[in-house]
Amino acid sequence: MATRTVVPFGPQHPVLPEPIQLRLTYEDEKVVEVTPVIGYGHRGIEKACELNEYAKNIYLCERVCGICSYQHSATVVEVMERLWPVELTPRINYLRTIWSEMARCHSHLLWLGLLADAFGFESMFMQFWRIREKVLDLLEQTTGHRVIQSVNIVGGVRRDIDEQQKKMIIDVLGVVRKDSQSLINTLTSDYTVKARTVGVGVITKEQAISLGCAGPTLRASGVSEDVRLTKYHAYGELNFEPIVETSGDCFARAVVRARELLQSIDLQLEALSKMPQGEIAVKVKGNPPANEAVMRTEAPRGELFYYAKGNGTRRLERMKIRTPTNANLPAVLVLLPGCQLADVPVNVLSIDPCISCTER
Amino acid sequence: MPVMLPTVLKNLFGGPATRLYPVTVREPFDNARGQITFNDDKCTLCGACALRCPADAISIDKEKKTLNFHPARCIVCEVCVLGCPSDAIDLGFKWRTPFYKKPLEVHEARGKKPRTPT
Repeated sequence: MATRTVVPFGPQHPVLPEPIQLRLTYEDEKVVEVTPVIGYGHRGIEKACELNEYAKNIYLCERVCGICSYQHSATVVEVMERLWPVELTPRINYLRTIWSEMARCHSHLLWLGLLADAFGFESMFMQFWRIREKVLDLLEQTTGHRVIQSVNIVGGVRRDIDEQQKKMIIDVLGVVRKDSQSLINTLTSDYTVKARTVGVGVITKEQAISLGCAGPTLRASGVSEDVRLTKYHAYGELNFEPIVETSGDCFARAVVRARELLQSIDLQLEALSKMPQGEIAVKVKGNPPANEAVMRTEAPRGELFYYAKGNGTRRLERMKIRTPTNANLPAVLVLLPGCQLADVPVNVLSIDPCISCTER
Repeated sequence: MPVMLPTVLKNLFGGPATRLYPVTVREPFDNARGQITFNDDKCTLCGACALRCPADAISIDKEKKTLNFHPARCIVCEVCVLGCPSDAIDLGFKWRTPFYKKPLEVHEARGKKPRTPT
């Protein structure tokens, strides 16, 4: 008769960027059952959005997550702009696209480093984060802060990218691309990396669709779905195709994110070359009208969904946020039973858990 | 193994990627948001900054004619700087140093409201 042990994975674990507890029941090194315990990061942000004046919600909602902060900021501003609706200039859309892709670069570089750390490849973790410092310096020079950018306002953006900054961005992105490419070659061809990730944590295409996964977790199982195909911001004018892999294991999820990192650098360079001239902010008058609006964007982890309802006063009636890790967590509960003890960190990390997003 | 070799050689013969902190300090960029300072000579106590602050870090006391600022609550979002009609708030690019006790800055405003021509 095999012995069963219950081991708490988390809330503090070196592999997790944010706290979540998974109570794992083991039978001799094989996981049999998983019970999640969430609530360590809940701050009541949706309720706080109803108590603030509408313009202050931007500063609240961009602090839902530190890694995908720019996408939260761009989505909340756009959902409030859709209440009037406000007509934006093309330059505002291009600037928001460029900063969105820059934030995606830093998020994927962070995740690739954490994946290397999850199976002990610490030198690759340090190399990826060294490249990430260059992207964070770019964000600081163009928006003012490294992590929480605070550059969106209702009606536009607050800072502009001039010619000198544009040249600097192009130079730095060239260096980032070259360095990332050589590290990604190591990631995809090294046999130790493959031994820990190939065949581990397989999600089939039918399972991914029925569990409601989003983002790279879905695209690594063969489903070609990306919210950027709905042509919000300036994505309609850029040359964009979703990146899809078919094997559905942790290695496929790593390859999808690595290729998205390189694609995101190319999208930024293309957007910089095509950016039109124009105003960077549009005047918005009055309070949010009594209306409802919905906005979906592609955060680095998947589809981010915001719903706002105004009632004619300065305060919004309701703000609803549905983050991508909310949709990807059930996949972890299906992946873990049946896997070995040493595969648990790699499996949990492969969906890119952002628990502070889940428990806003 | 040869895939990682160029990175290994570059790291062996290049310098360290980290800075020796107290000796070399990282200078922030000119566009960075550092800390807020108030110019008492221009402030007219109109209260536009206190209305806009998302973190409730500024409060105005009209009887004592002072402006109270809590630097520990400030999130350096720059909304007060952009909203001040008398340009009395400056945004520097150097970050605040850490403190042991949360300070409270009390500013005596000395600016005069501009007279509108009749």
